[in-house]
Amino acid sequence: MREYLGQIRAIAAKDLRVEFRTKERIAAMGAFVVLTAILFNYAVDRTVVHPRELAAGMIWIVISLAGLLGLGRTFELEKEDGALDGLLVAPVPRDALYLGKVVANTVLLAGVTALTVAVFALFFQVRLPGNPLPLIGVLLTGTVGFVALGTLFSGITAGTRMGDTLLPILLFPLLVPLITFGAAATADLLAGLSPGESAYSLRVLAAFTLVALTAGVGLFRFIVED
Amino acid sequence: MSLRTVRWAGVVLGFLGVALTILFHWQVFFWVPTEASMGIVQRIFYIHLPAAWVGFFAFGIVALCSAVYLWLGEEKLDHAARAAAEGGMIFTTIVLTSGPLWARLAWGTWWTWEPRLTLTLLLWFIYLGYFLVRSSTDNLDRGRKFAAVVGVVGALNIPLIHMSVYWFRSLHPQPVVARVDGPQLHPDMATTVFTALGAWTLVFLSLFLFRYAAARLEAYADRVEAARLNPTRSATPEEVMAP
Repeated sequence: MREYLGQIRAIAAKDLRVEFRTKERIAAMGAFVVLTAILFNYAVDRTVVHPRELAAGMIWIVISLAGLLGLGRTFELEKEDGALDGLLVAPVPRDALYLGKVVANTVLLAGVTALTVAVFALFFQVRLPGNPLPLIGVLLTGTVGFVALGTLFSGITAGTRMGDTLLPILLFPLLVPLITFGAAATADLLAGLSPGESAYSLRVLAAFTLVALTAGVGLFRFIVED
Repeated sequence: MSLRTVRWAGVVLGFLGVALTILFHWQVFFWVPTEASMGIVQRIFYIHLPAAWVGFFAFGIVALCSAVYLWLGEEKLDHAARAAAEGGMIFTTIVLTSGPLWARLAWGTWWTWEPRLTLTLLLWFIYLGYFLVRSSTDNLDRGRKFAAVVGVVGALNIPLIHMSVYWFRSLHPQPVVARVDGPQLHPDMATTVFTALGAWTLVFLSLFLFRYAAARLEAYADRVEAARLNPTRSATPEEVMAP
């Protein structure tokens, strides 16, 4: 078990180290979030609806789209120069490889999520709840679920000719539970309702994340095997 | 099961299915009583509901065959999954075209974000992803594995998608056939809907068997071609084995 966790950490640390040196994905996703928020400002007629009223849904849409941008490149580095083969010959079980990638992607996407919420709070005067823990719980659970599915599917799309373009087609139909309950819980919490109101949504989010992680751990070895 | 048996079963089921399809169309147009509140447009229901059942049934086959394919690696299971997915896509498309036609007259709108509509539309897109993944890989074997993973993950998520779409209030008519207290339908209507269900299940199974047999033949042709292109190496018995 200890060895297994060490392997996961090694994979995640490798990905994060590469990311913090190049800052490619984080810069792309961060800029994407801010720019989408700016466009959103001009897309909404303020005399009809205040952007704040759409904030919960928009936050989740922006996280999904920004996440798509970053997750699509999960295996970009490994595709070049046969680096994936190098990674596969390492004495690491396939599921540890998957979980390592999930951890690295979660760290990145959690940062993007925090930025998204901050941008919405700053630009659209979205009032954050006094006790941020329930909101953090909802957003983090959703992020892990999104990353768990996205990492698995980006492993698939990396092996196809269509590449990243295929990712939303595979991923979005399955994200419906995440967006439904994530946005509902976020809206409740932003509206200042007690965390108990969103307990049901949080449970479904947790179930989604668990299913996604189990599927990823169980199925990842089939998509990298060669 | 030999390929000959598969083809014969396909022919027999196909004839039965087409005969029943003609019968249920006669029932729909000339025999079944017109529903009191919705009028003539309700007759679309006899095409819509069986197609929906067959579409979901097909996805069950896709998921099951995909999972067992990943487990055992038996190529035939992948042929079966793909055959079921193609049939399922046809019937899901029928659901998605017949539904709005009915809804336009019954509800006054082509589309609404109603649970069963949404679920069927998402299922259609999961099928689409399943085919796109398969056709955009250069390595046949990888395409099969990718598609199987998509099929299994899709099936695992269906219950959760189902939950979320039901969370919104439902406008769709509540079930009238599949109920715990038995069908709430005029007996003639029930007869018609079950004839239609039988007809399209048979048509689907027939298409499924034909597609499966064709996939086996394709795989055989590929093996023969590969052996021909590489004459320096004598073909293994598996490669030239008849399908």
